[in-house]
This record gives sequence, structure tokens and C-alpha cells, in this order.
Amino acid sequence: MEALPTVPSILRPLISFLDEPVDRVDVDQLTELIASDNSIAAQCLRMANSPLYGRRRAVDSIRGAVIALGLARLREILISCVLVRLLPSQKWKINPTVFWEHSFGCAMMARQFALRTGYPHTDKAYLAGLLHDLGIIANSVVFPEEFQEVLQHAAEKEVPLHEEEGRQLGIDHAESGALLAGQWRFPEEICEVIRLHHDVQQARVNPPLTAIVCLSDQLCRMRGLGYGYYESRLVDFFKDPAWAVVTKEHPQAHGLDMARFTFEMDDYIREIRSMVSAVFR
Amino acid sequence: MLQTNVAASCAAIPLPDPFLFRIRDVVYQVAGIFQSDERITFLEDRCLRRMKALSLRSLAEYFDCLTMRADRDAEIRNLLNEITVGETCFFRYPAQLEALRKVILPAIIEAKGKLSFTRLRVWSAGCSTGEEPYTLSIFFQELQQSLLRGWTVEVLATDLNERSLERARRGVYTDYALRNVTPDVHQKYFVPVENGQFQVSEAIRSRVQFNRLNLLDDSRVIFMKGLDLVFCCNVMIYFDGSAKRKVVQHFHSNLLPNGYLFLGHSESLFGYSNDFRLVHFPETTAYLKPSGLR
Repeated sequence: MEALPTVPSILRPLISFLDEPVDRVDVDQLTELIASDNSIAAQCLRMANSPLYGRRRAVDSIRGAVIALGLARLREILISCVLVRLLPSQKWKINPTVFWEHSFGCAMMARQFALRTGYPHTDKAYLAGLLHDLGIIANSVVFPEEFQEVLQHAAEKEVPLHEEEGRQLGIDHAESGALLAGQWRFPEEICEVIRLHHDVQQARVNPPLTAIVCLSDQLCRMRGLGYGYYESRLVDFFKDPAWAVVTKEHPQAHGLDMARFTFEMDDYIREIRSMVSAVFR
Repeated sequence: MLQTNVAASCAAIPLPDPFLFRIRDVVYQVAGIFQSDERITFLEDRCLRRMKALSLRSLAEYFDCLTMRADRDAEIRNLLNEITVGETCFFRYPAQLEALRKVILPAIIEAKGKLSFTRLRVWSAGCSTGEEPYTLSIFFQELQQSLLRGWTVEVLATDLNERSLERARRGVYTDYALRNVTPDVHQKYFVPVENGQFQVSEAIRSRVQFNRLNLLDDSRVIFMKGLDLVFCCNVMIYFDGSAKRKVVQHFHSNLLPNGYLFLGHSESLFGYSNDFRLVHFPETTAYLKPSGLR
């Protein structure tokens, strides 16, 4: 793990901004933090102006973005920008566009799942969705050659990536991601999501959060926002242990029209694609 | 200043008429077919056509027409006709075929093979002019030398409309219906006939059995037995709630355990069946009839 970038100073205050309810965030403090880093501020504005966030006219200042988008959205944009810059994509073995589409897709879907199932911490769900696959980057940087082979084999066999990682590397992206998240001192529940999003039943800190990310991850992969290859499998959400966890804590989830939810998410996916291509052009 | 700018830019965003979204919800509730945001201008366009025919001026009035008037069911049908017209073509849902080839057929072949069964029965319910059953017939033919070696595949195709069935039996199509057909498949299975049209080859046509059938005719539908797969695309949207329930129940008893029902791209059975379970495959969904062992 030594090969990995150290955590930048802006990240930790940001994570704590994200962990707090919106009404307790000091707007001036946040805009100052953003403005202190020119390139992050610039990327933030680019994202704020993408169709995903509904802007048709330019937002040209961070304060303008706060007013136009609201604090909650801005925080999301900000953390995304920091992450994107934090992890230099030249070293990646996975296509960065594919990775970010999957991560943003999962974040967006986790928020929507949370909203529709009655899980109250929708911002947390977004953050956890965004960060859940951090370990893919860790694996890609730590085992560059081996990881490239893993990706290739997983694509050829059309199997889930973590299964192939486990077989070939002996460590999957859930484990390596959790190591990295621990090193960067992420909040405990985010660490748990990263570690257990393929093994929800083990979750103890915040099982519904881990379960929501697990479901979002799989829905993304079934709707074309996966790891860039076809996964030959059936996903039966209603028989997934993650579904049982969500419905146990939030019985309202039983009423979710999963078919309609899926069709609605397709609209978000189109927007995420255009946003990612606009931001990472 | 900044705030004025922001307000001005918000005003500049043309928002769709809120009644359009209410119409979308009505269409989904009544017909179970969802119009995505991407298709919302398409939906608007189709509503405008109907409004013109009815001399209505606003979507709000048209919404009333779909929800409050005595003849609302007829009007919903008119709108659905506008929404689904000209949609059918060969290889319309490639993701369904991919799921069959990669996931479903290997599982069925393994399970049935263990019992020494080598027969597959597939039903295209509401086959219209034949594009869907012929697509399936071509698809199975292409697998006959690999996955389905030694297997017999029956494709049954039914429709209520005798005229559609006549056209289906002839199997003659324009280029437009063949727009998704690859050159290789085109060359193998389509024969040029008069007027620049193409006929499906004899080998493919002979594999499909066409019959007239009303899906609400209990006494006949119960004879469709032992099916592995049912395809019913953009058909159930025309049935009302109780008819839909009945048809879905029939499909359930027609299918073998672990069989699948496929619907059209944005159709849903939500609220109409507790026996089927929605499952996901890459880029497509289907309804599974779970086996007794859960």
C-alpha cells in the first residue's frame, strides 16, 4: 500500500463536511476551502455546469454554485473533484471513464434507493456509493501487471471482478479498498461499505447502508455501468441478502416498484455518461 | 447581481408541462409501460397528435380526457396506439437474446438435459406480423450447431388479429423491419422478392407455428402447456387490470418451473402478479416463475 498517494489535506475536512447534516455546514468555510485550490474550484464549476445537475446557463463562481445547486449537491461535486484529482489516472489499468461512470452511477443510485426505501441518510448513501470501489484503484496501482490480467480474465469469463481478483491476487478490491480507507481514516461506516459491499451479511456498523450500496452496485452493473464488460449472470434482487437487510430495517422498501425504478435509473445513467465525458474530457 | 443572474438562468430553462408527467403516470398505472425522460418529448408529441384529433388546446384538458371522461379507456387505447405504432422489427431486443444465449439457455439445457429432455418450447404471445417469432426462430437456428445441438425447438406464435397472422405467415418484410439484422443473418435467412422486399427463408418459416388465439379465452389458453419461455411484448398494455391479471396467471401456469416471461422494453408487471419474480440480466429484465423449491 506504500505505492498509494497520501491523503491530501483537503480531503479530511471535506469528509467531515459530508458527514454532517446540511444545515450545520458553514457555507463561508466551505467556499473558502474550495477557493483555496484553483484547479479543484475550476473542476467543480465544470461539474456544476453539467446537465446532470440541471444547469443550462453557466454558473461561474463557487458562491453562485452554492446558491444555484444547494449545499448538498455542491458537497457531492466537491468530493468527486477531489477524488478524481487525487488518483492520477495514468497509472490505472482500468479505463478511468468506466470507473468513474460506475462510481458516480452507484452514488446516484444509492441516493435514489435511500430516498425510495426510507433510509434517511441520503447524502451518506451517495458518498458511500461514490467510494465503494476505491480498492479497484488500489489494486490497479499496487499490482499493475497482475491486475490488468485479472481484468482481462474477468472480461473473458464474464464473471464479477471481485471473484477473479480473489482467485488471482488473493485480495479483492473490497479488502484492499478497506485497507486504504482505514489508512486515510475514513468514517467507520464508509470503511465497512467498502469492505463488505459484496458480503453484506457480515456488516455490523451500518448494515442498511452497506446493503443499499450493494444493491446499487449490482443494478449499475446490470444497466450497462459496470466494469466495461458483459457479466453473464442473473441478478435476483429480491433474493439477495442485501434486500433482506434493507427491508428488515425499512419495511417501506417492500412497496418499491423495482421495474419502474430500473427504468427511471436508466435516465440517470444517460446523464451520468454525459457528465463524466464532459468532466474528464 | 449574482442572484438576479441565477434567477434569470433558472427562468430560461424550459420545463416540460407538469401534466405531461401526470399523463406518463396514468399511462404507467393503466398500461404498465413507462416513458423515460428521454422519451418524454416523444410522449408529448403523441399527446399533441391526439389533442389535435380531439380539438383540445392544453395537456391539462387532455389529462382530463384520459382520467375523468366516460370514454377514457378508449382514449388511453388511442394514445397507446400512437406510442407503440411501428415499433416492431427484427432483433428488436438484442439484450433479451443475449441473456438467453449466455445465461438462461445454458441453465435450462443443463437442468432438462439431466432428465434426458431435449425439447424446448417457446411462445410468442401476441406476435403481430411475425417479426418476433421469426427473430426467435433465426436465433435458435444459429445455436443449433453449438449450444442447442441435438435439441428440438418449437416456436409457437399466436395473435388475435387474423390479418396480422396472414402477413406473418407470408413472412415478407421491407428493409425498415430488417434494420437491426446483420448482413450475415440477412444473407442466410432472407430471400429477395418483389418490390425490394424480403421473405424469411422456408427453413425459418417452417419452424414457427402460427395460430389465432385470444389471450383471454381461458378454454384455449390452458392448452399452451410445458413452455420454457413466453414472449409477450407490448400486448398486455392494452388489457385492463383484471384482464391483465388473468393473462399473467395463465402465463404462469403455461410455463414450466424456472421458465421466464419476457415483456417489452419498458413494460412492468408491478402490482399484477405475486407469482412471478422480476429478475435482471445485463441491460434487460424478465419475470421468473420460481420453482417450488425456494
